[in-house]
Amino acid sequence: MTLGSGGSSVVVPRNFRLLEELERGEKGIGDGTVSYGMDDGDDIYMRSWTGTVIGPHNTVHEGRIYQLKLFCDKDYPEKPPSVRFHSRINITCVNHETGVVEPKKFALLANWQREYTMEDILTQLKKEMATPHNRKLVQPPEGTYF
Amino acid sequence: MANSNLPRRIIKETQRLLSEPAPGISASPSEDNMRYFNVMILGPTQSPYEALHVEFSAANRLKLCGCMVQPHKALGSWRSPSTSSCGGVFKLELFLPEEYPMAAPKVRFLTKIYHPNIDKLGRICLDILKDKWSPALQIRTVLLSIQALLSAPNPDDPLSENIAKHWKTKEAEAVETAKEWTRLYASGA
Repeated sequence: MTLGSGGSSVVVPRNFRLLEELERGEKGIGDGTVSYGMDDGDDIYMRSWTGTVIGPHNTVHEGRIYQLKLFCDKDYPEKPPSVRFHSRINITCVNHETGVVEPKKFALLANWQREYTMEDILTQLKKEMATPHNRKLVQPPEGTYF
Repeated sequence: MANSNLPRRIIKETQRLLSEPAPGISASPSEDNMRYFNVMILGPTQSPYEALHVEFSAANRLKLCGCMVQPHKALGSWRSPSTSSCGGVFKLELFLPEEYPMAAPKVRFLTKIYHPNIDKLGRICLDILKDKWSPALQIRTVLLSIQALLSAPNPDDPLSENIAKHWKTKEAEAVETAKEWTRLYASGA
């Protein structure tokens, strides 16, 4: 945060930021190939989320529905959420045993900025599935989970 | 600090909120974000969210009230030294978006509350927070309106369908539930 900068210096606090994301998620995003929602409607701190990515066309992932878990801790969005696949998937940035999206191998998490959203993460993961090194990898059977 | 460009209007409003707080309402900006306020609202008397006052004597403390009797810092100024509140202290958070005062403040309850116009996440259904917002309104007027909403639940314009239905069909029972929740969650401890 910079002193007296000409740009916007308004910082949306965590909870109001997550409420915005919740409302956006409820309305539905773009073509519906990525979506997300809150796991526990009673959790006033809105920590646990489930995201869904539909595998992109012309890849081995096409038509598959991938479920992910996102956890936004108290320090979100200063820090990124932890992200792991629930559905089994074989792509380079995902740990083969745990399903965790490894920040070291996924630039959006490694170079996290406060403006980034859960939607950005899911959209970027969808793009990741379509990269040359991921689009043809042999995949675990559909409908299996970490 | 992200506060160097804080508009004069917000500074003025904040100063007044701190120097002349409205009865039963406290609002103070957080240290690292002057647009983000910690708010406490005392449940209005004669409402199911009422703050019950009890004598601050050792005997009564044990008999009548299981709540914490240590005066809460932020609430100290509301109380005479001989009373202590048991229930009825509601925590909220308020944020002034970049467009404020052209756009309404964002407010929600952090304390669980059983009210037809407040949902599970503490979001509030109140016209002045939405289409009836006017820049002539202020943080103070918003908080007073929320306090008034506690005295006058409006089940015809609900945010929580189930609670509204409960309110419309079995009002006495709904009020009891609201009182129970106040006791359980709004003790201010």
